[in-house]
Amino acid sequence: MAQARLGAQKPDKIEIADYEPIRSMRNVPTTEYYVPGHRTCGGCMPALAYRLTALAAGPNTVFAGPTGCMYVANTSYLCGPWAVPWIHTQITNGGAVISGIAAAYKAMIRKGKYDGEYPNIICFAGDGGSSDIGLQALSGAMYRNHDLLFITYDNEAYANTGIQVSPMTPYGAYTTFTPPGKVVPDAKPLFPKDLLKMVAAGHPAVKYLATASVSYPLDLMNKVRKALAVKGPTFMHIHAPCPKGWSFEAHRGPEIGKLAVETGMWTLYEIEDGHVKVNVRPRKWRPVKDYVATQGRFSHLTDEMIQRLQAFVDAKLADLGLEAEPPTPVPPVAG
Amino acid sequence: MPRKVRIAGAKATAEAVKAANVDVICSYPIRPYTGTMIELARMVADGELDAEFVHGEGEHAQLSVVLGASAAGARVFTGTSGVGATYAFELYSPIAGEFHPVQCMIANRTLDPPGDFGSEHTDALSARDQGWLMGWAASPQEAYDNTLIYYRLGEDPRVMLPQFPCQDGYFISHISGEVELADSDQVEEFLPPFNPRNKLDPRQPVLMGPQCRADQGAAIELGRAEAMVRAREVIPSVIADFNRVFGRNYSPFLQEYMTEDADMVFFGQGAHTVPARLAAERLRKDGLKVGVVQLRFMRPFPTDEVAEALSRFKVVGVLEISNSFGAVYDSGPVTAEVLSALYYAPAQPKVLTFLGGLGGENIRLADYYEMARAMKAAADAERLKKRVFWLGFEPLHVA
Repeated sequence: MAQARLGAQKPDKIEIADYEPIRSMRNVPTTEYYVPGHRTCGGCMPALAYRLTALAAGPNTVFAGPTGCMYVANTSYLCGPWAVPWIHTQITNGGAVISGIAAAYKAMIRKGKYDGEYPNIICFAGDGGSSDIGLQALSGAMYRNHDLLFITYDNEAYANTGIQVSPMTPYGAYTTFTPPGKVVPDAKPLFPKDLLKMVAAGHPAVKYLATASVSYPLDLMNKVRKALAVKGPTFMHIHAPCPKGWSFEAHRGPEIGKLAVETGMWTLYEIEDGHVKVNVRPRKWRPVKDYVATQGRFSHLTDEMIQRLQAFVDAKLADLGLEAEPPTPVPPVAG
Repeated sequence: MPRKVRIAGAKATAEAVKAANVDVICSYPIRPYTGTMIELARMVADGELDAEFVHGEGEHAQLSVVLGASAAGARVFTGTSGVGATYAFELYSPIAGEFHPVQCMIANRTLDPPGDFGSEHTDALSARDQGWLMGWAASPQEAYDNTLIYYRLGEDPRVMLPQFPCQDGYFISHISGEVELADSDQVEEFLPPFNPRNKLDPRQPVLMGPQCRADQGAAIELGRAEAMVRAREVIPSVIADFNRVFGRNYSPFLQEYMTEDADMVFFGQGAHTVPARLAAERLRKDGLKVGVVQLRFMRPFPTDEVAEALSRFKVVGVLEISNSFGAVYDSGPVTAEVLSALYYAPAQPKVLTFLGGLGGENIRLADYYEMARAMKAAADAERLKKRVFWLGFEPLHVA
């Protein structure tokens, strides 16, 4: 299969510093930089995403945390779980704040005002703080060729404020701003933005982008390491199921994250220098209805609506060269 | 050796930023402050100033970028005007509340509507309660000096507050005046390197801006209030030091002109106090004893100094270059502060408000004469019928 390419002309070649991949779960470092001392919900997958990211990044790291669950639940009562520096940013401006941190370290090292090594500079933003109100700052950070990593942990809603719809909320999902009703029976009628493609297509300085899932921790950690080793701005989009927001039992997060990949609701791939590489390709795609059935937020969906969601997923997979067989016909408009 | 040049305020500020050897600058275009950024861009491109010059994607980003850079330990500079200053508003409280001594110059411009390039103080004054140091320059020299003074003051470990050095758009930013540029020895003596105690250094991790409990919030705000009080205490020694090193003669808070024998004074900030001085000189011929009191810091507001200084006069005419719709007596923010300060003063002068210079309109010398005559009439009147006037829109009849 011809490799798909994504992104505008990128005249500069990718530059990757040496880094140490983690070969197996047994080799995962044991020194944690995201430690107990937070009050995220039971089964919180975004918190696990943070922990895995911090593990992979190591001690020479600065985190910026835009407002969202991973701000509020992590820093209650003036304390936080990080063993590395962390700064709050507004939900609007994570990308801009890390741009400033990156510019400061570049200048201070050049001018002899800082004698340490250039740190890993990571923004850990929610889907709203990335794809919605934070999109402008994200774009600026990706555009200006700073050396930094922007991570979107995606729990598909504004969860901190009580589960409101975001551009990443899937079609058909219930949120408190998209309740299903007589007039709008499918709850959220829109399909989500494709944030990674948006970043990839329009930002020539970005040489490495990856999706990841908390259910695939090794893949996630190695992508973090690689993203940090690549010179310039890099972007990661991490799928992180939310028991409270999606309405499933707290222990089922890892299973549901995996199911998302197996149904094509989420896809694990990376884009390196414009080349798309799919990391996990199930032998046979499971139907979306298996995924939908695990979560209360989809409980109002009719077969027809599920079919509509399946058609969207089929098209998304086809776009990545992952044709589902046979393609699902788009359901006719209900009469 | 210091050298004298003829430059406008926008360029003077850029020269001071260069002298302060800032590390990170963040730009976004909006008139009239752009003049400063254009000059800084050239300085960085030519290698005159070693700094990261970041093109922000808007004013909100400008303030965010310098917040991050300052938190990392860099000396930073940014600037804006008009609606740019209001677009960035979200960041003002986080920057001040987390004690990042960011400097954001404002070359004042009227807000929309209508689209108007003119100078007016409403943009900056809208942000006066966000915990930033704020004051106006009345000349390009003062614009230059204020940038250095504000860095020293804002970065003082007792203060650690961000700063809005303001200059009237066009009147100061784009009209040349003589400016003495400091030499590096002077700057080195006056302005120590920026080295905050807390920064985003992985070798010494800190947490900046965590959430707190409701009962922790007030304590944090008290800390911010106390920093502003300490700034008021630190200002006189910083100004004295500046005067010593640079051979200037600034008063810390109130610059007075021809006030010794004055019965009445114009009270205001920035460019409009300059023609007021000329008017004061000329009005002596008509037997009107008018002086000028220039407010150098709006934040912290020098309450005691204002109360003491203004209670010496019969009438105070506040030059209100800003709107505050629906404010006390339908006046404006400066009047409100002056009246409050005078409440506990040893004596209360009559206070008139002249709303003028709005939208960039020029206040002509003839206007100052008319204002002075109104102040005289107020001095002679037993009771005032009207105290607040829109210059040019109504007769200045006080009684």
